[in-house]
Amino acid sequence: MKRLTKRFSAPEEEREHVKDRLGSILFLFLIETAFFGLILLFLVVEGIIPVFSVILGTILLSYLIKRFESVNDFLQSLFNCHKRVAILWGMIFLLALPILLHKSPYLIHILFLAGLYAALAIGLDFQVGSTHLVNFATAADYGIGAYTAALLSVKFGWSFWVVLPLGGVAAALFGFLLGLPTMKTKTYYLSLVTIAVGLVIYLLLNNFAWTGGPNGVSGIPFPRIGSFSFGSSLLIFGIELPFQANFYYLILILVIIEFVVAQRLYHSKIGLAWNAIRDDEIAAECQGIDVTGSKIMAFYTNAFFDGLAGAVYAFNVSFISPENFTFMLSVIVVTMVIVGGMGNTAGVIFGAIIMTLIPEKLQVLQTYRLWVFGLIILLMLLVRPKGLFPQKIRQYT
Amino acid sequence: MKNHSILQARNITISFGGLRALDRVDFDVRPRETVGLIGPNGSGKTTFFNVISGIYKPDEGEVWFEGENVVRRKPHEITKRGMARTFQNSRLFWQLSILDNVIIGMHTQQKGTLFDVIFRYDQTKQELRRCAEKAREILSYFSQELCDKCSGLVVDLPQGDRRRVEICRALASNPELLLLDEPSAGMSPEETDKLMEDIGKVKEKYKDISLIIIEHDMVVIEEIAQKVIVFNYGKKIAEGTFSEISKNEEVLEAYLGEES
Repeated sequence: MKRLTKRFSAPEEEREHVKDRLGSILFLFLIETAFFGLILLFLVVEGIIPVFSVILGTILLSYLIKRFESVNDFLQSLFNCHKRVAILWGMIFLLALPILLHKSPYLIHILFLAGLYAALAIGLDFQVGSTHLVNFATAADYGIGAYTAALLSVKFGWSFWVVLPLGGVAAALFGFLLGLPTMKTKTYYLSLVTIAVGLVIYLLLNNFAWTGGPNGVSGIPFPRIGSFSFGSSLLIFGIELPFQANFYYLILILVIIEFVVAQRLYHSKIGLAWNAIRDDEIAAECQGIDVTGSKIMAFYTNAFFDGLAGAVYAFNVSFISPENFTFMLSVIVVTMVIVGGMGNTAGVIFGAIIMTLIPEKLQVLQTYRLWVFGLIILLMLLVRPKGLFPQKIRQYT
Repeated sequence: MKNHSILQARNITISFGGLRALDRVDFDVRPRETVGLIGPNGSGKTTFFNVISGIYKPDEGEVWFEGENVVRRKPHEITKRGMARTFQNSRLFWQLSILDNVIIGMHTQQKGTLFDVIFRYDQTKQELRRCAEKAREILSYFSQELCDKCSGLVVDLPQGDRRRVEICRALASNPELLLLDEPSAGMSPEETDKLMEDIGKVKEKYKDISLIIIEHDMVVIEEIAQKVIVFNYGKKIAEGTFSEISKNEEVLEAYLGEES
């Protein structure tokens, strides 16, 4: 627990210090609130020109901040000094978001989607970011998690809360099997294997009768807590929130848990081993790292999180089919990791969010999605291969 | 077959395509011994290191390390048993900090499964902190300056410091046997002097350690090797003290005669 005041020789000094501290905290509040306002503005604004203006304005702002070192450093140190307060305020904002947007169920829904993609991106970062294993089978893990949860629920009536972890486990098992070829294949060939396996899973889902074939699984019920169904609206502080808010909070919790787990993995021998394998596989092996075992671990930890996200997705849309789990989805998640920042958990969350929200706001892009995503990957790899937020150096106090 | 040797290689033979890189090589290292391995370029010295550290499997021959046959073992298993090495072109983890590089050297001594990391993170954090302390200690033993800037990336370091970090990383695993592959490559005479000091420090701090050093710089070999083994075209052609092998005709013809 941080001391709120230091010991000072004179009471006036102490008062000054407290005033300074309060002053800087207040300033932090203002800046953060302005930032949240920008986010709200972006969410609420309609029409191509306003949306583009907000995007360009934000890019310009970030560029200016980066350009002027002193501003950049000041903001950094402000955040670092009052980390806990900043995070708390951010959490309050995230919790309050559905309340602020309670008149727009659609916006809450796309925030939910952004959360799903963030969950997928955090997992994929273990492989693409930390270990440089470019895995194009995210859709397969996601689909296996979704189908497992959906089928167990529809065919056996099991509760969401039971099938959720089972979806994760099923996907993890698949991820483990997918990782086995890593013993023999490297980099590009490994990616090809994952592309192939992703397609195989899609074909299997499409052709098995027990998965419903191309008709998929329908009639997936909403999750329940006691008598409360996730399909009903939520009453908070007298305000009625649309049912999408329930899923928003669910995915928010999942993303936070995933974030914590990802950070722990990063600051551990596992994260270090993954980075070592990325930088020099032979040298990593000679430090005593079981390279194959570590790579396989990256596969199944990623897959587990993808499976959980898949289960949540299935119970949100009530109907899933193989068309929801195509190669395109895997490409999108890989793009999010590349754009957000390889090896940086907060970065990939940011990448996932902007790459979900911007296409939703700019509907005109939908027809050219593959085009645009391909272009983005190309640009990022040429201009800023490490992503918008590159990996941070680990600090040990 | 222990025989008071910490490392015993017998009949090591390996070919790549049609080229015989090592031909029936025998090699012994005793505890606390420093062995110099010299020979012209392409004589199989690094290949030999790769065989005993498990990167290559030889076509024939056996390797006993600490009394155990390790010829079929993977590199990470051999490192666990107490062998560490450096590489001709420093293979450091370029995108990581100096401190991280040395901490990774301690990988074999870090406990902690996936479960521990996720659910018992306090323990993991403590252990990592201890490793960071130990890593700083190792770094400062060689250079306080290096220790002070240990949060910097290794890619920003000059050649001499890179070697130093590589050696620290290798020492972090507390090895019984340390393999140094041309540590003075690309160094100026001053840097080479510092290197010899560093190797002296290694022997001082790690009293029980054995070393095999591949070198082209005869000054280094003369200074620190108790025994010198000479390779040529994949064969061992001489073994003895520095003064003995420097008088050996075959050695002079193959190697020393070409330098002056």
